[in-house]
Amino acid sequence: MSHDLAGIFSGFIGLVPITLAQSLILSFVALAIMVPFRLLNFQDLTSEGAFPLGGAVCAVALAGGLNPWLALLLGAAAGFVAGCCTAAIHLRFKIHSLLAGILVTTMLYSIDLRIMGRPNLSVFGAPSVYDALPAISDPSGAKIAVAGGCVVIVLVLLELFLKTELGTAMRAVGANPDMAEAQGIAVARATLVGVGAAAAFAALAGALMVQSQGFADVNMGLGVLINGLASLMIGEALVGRRSVTRQLLAPVVGSIAYYQLVSLCLAAGMPPPDLKLATGVFVMLMLALPALRRGSARAAA
Amino acid sequence: MLEIRNAVKRFNVGQPDEKTALDGLALRLAAGEFGIVIGSNGAGKSSMFNAVSGALRLDSGQVLIAGDDVTAEPVHRRATRVARVFQDPMRGTAASMTIAENMLLADLRGQRRGLGRGLTAARRRLYGERLSVLGLGLENRLDSRVDLLSGGQRQAVSLIMAVSSQPALLLLDEHTAALDPRTADLVMAATVQAVQAFNLTTLMVTHNMQHAIDHGDRVIMMDAGKVRTEIAGDARRQLTVPALVELFAVKTDAMLLSVH
Repeated sequence: MSHDLAGIFSGFIGLVPITLAQSLILSFVALAIMVPFRLLNFQDLTSEGAFPLGGAVCAVALAGGLNPWLALLLGAAAGFVAGCCTAAIHLRFKIHSLLAGILVTTMLYSIDLRIMGRPNLSVFGAPSVYDALPAISDPSGAKIAVAGGCVVIVLVLLELFLKTELGTAMRAVGANPDMAEAQGIAVARATLVGVGAAAAFAALAGALMVQSQGFADVNMGLGVLINGLASLMIGEALVGRRSVTRQLLAPVVGSIAYYQLVSLCLAAGMPPPDLKLATGVFVMLMLALPALRRGSARAAA
Repeated sequence: MLEIRNAVKRFNVGQPDEKTALDGLALRLAAGEFGIVIGSNGAGKSSMFNAVSGALRLDSGQVLIAGDDVTAEPVHRRATRVARVFQDPMRGTAASMTIAENMLLADLRGQRRGLGRGLTAARRRLYGERLSVLGLGLENRLDSRVDLLSGGQRQAVSLIMAVSSQPALLLLDEHTAALDPRTADLVMAATVQAVQAFNLTTLMVTHNMQHAIDHGDRVIMMDAGKVRTEIAGDARRQLTVPALVELFAVKTDAMLLSVH
C-alpha cells in the first residue's frame, strides 16, 4: 500500500513541471473567462472558440515562416475580432450573450478549418517563442519561463490599466451599467472592447499551446471553457476577489492549482475519459454551494 | 438652462393599451432656476425626466440644454451636461467599487477618459474635501466599498457625485423618498446647499408637499403629460400645503398623507 502511494507520488512529482507549463498557458483561458464575467458582468462562452482560432491562426502563420512572437500576436488579434463579434451580436440584436458566444464558437469551427485547410496542422520543427531562452536547456523549464513571463506581463499591464481613468470606467460598466452610462461612459463600446480583449487572451492561450505541442487541431478547444471555469473558481476560493489585484491573480493561481489537482487524480489512477465528468461535477458543486448553504441554514433554523 | 418644446411620447401606439406619456409638454427653466415638479402617478414626471436625460426618445418635440438641441443625443453624450440622482440609492452608485472610485467616475463625467492614473493623491484630497461637506465622516472612508454604506449614505454620495462636476442641469428624481425622515432632511439640506453654492439649474420631482413649499423658485404641477399649473413669485411665497393639495383634483388623500 505504502509502495503504491510512493509510486503515485513519484509519478505525480515527475509531471509537475510539464503540468505547470501547461497550466500557465491555460491560465489565459481562465483570465479570458474572468474578465467578462467579473469585470464586465457579461456572461461569455467565446473562449471555447477563440482558443482553437488563436491556435489555427498561429499555426498557419508559423507554417508561413512568420516570427513566432508575431504569430502569437496575430492569433490574439484574431481572438479579439471573435470576441467583438460575440459582443456585437448581443448588443445589436439583443441575443443572449451565452447564445451569442455559442453561435460564434460554432461558426469559428468552420472558419478554423478554412484557415488551416485541414483538421490539423503540424508546426513541428518551426521556431517557437520557447526558444527565446536558450540558457534553459530543459524544454519544460523554458516553457514555464516564457509562459510565466507572458502571464506576469499581461497581469501587470491589466493591473495598471484597471487603475487608469479608462480602466475605472470599464469596471463601472460591469458594476452598474445604468450608472456608468449616466456618467457619460459609452457602455456598448466598453463592452465590445472588453469582451474582445478577453477573447484575445483565450486566443493567445491557443497560440501558446500550439507552439508548445507543435501542432494545431480544430478540436483543441473542446472543454477548455469548463476547465477554465473550474480554475477560476478554485482561484477565487484561494485568493478571493475583494480587490482588483486579487481578482486578477485568481485565474492564474486557480489554473496552476487545478491542473496539478487533475494531474494528481490521473496519477492516482483515475481513467482519463472520466476527467470531463469529474470536472463538470466539480464546477456544478462549486456553483451550487451558495444554494446548498442557504438550504442547510434554513433547515437549521 | 432647460427648454422642452412640444414634447410628445406615446407607448404601445395602435394597441388597446396605448398610453400618452407626454402630450405636447412645454417647459422653460432659466439658468440657475430651481423648479419643483409635482403631480400624481402617471402625470408624466418620470417620462419628462427620462426624455431630458436621454433615456427616452421623443416621438416629436425638442429638448434644449444650455441652448443646444440635445434631442438626438444618447444618455452618455448628454451626461456632459446633465447629472441625475435617482430615488433608488442603488442606481446612482457602483456598489462593488470604492467611494473614491465612484467619485472619480462622476468627476470625469462627460470628459475624455485617458490612460492616466485614475485616483491620484490630489484627486483623493479633493474628493475627501467634497464629501466632508456632508458631515457624515465619509471622507475617512474613501477606500470603503459603496455596498458597505447605508441607503442614506449612498444617496448622500450620489448627490455629491452629481453636483460636484457642476452640471448645466441637475435632475433630482424623488431622491429623498426612499430615505428615513432624518436622513431625508440631511440629504435635502445638502442638496439646497449645493444648488445655491454652484447656482445649479435644477429640476426636482417630489411627492413631499412640504419640500415643494420650502424649496425652489417655482412649483410646476404636471397632469396628463403636460404642465397644468406653474406657481412662481408672490403666489409661490404665499403657498401653503393645503392650498397646494387643493390644486390636485385627484389622489388628494395620498398627497396629504405624504406631507408628514
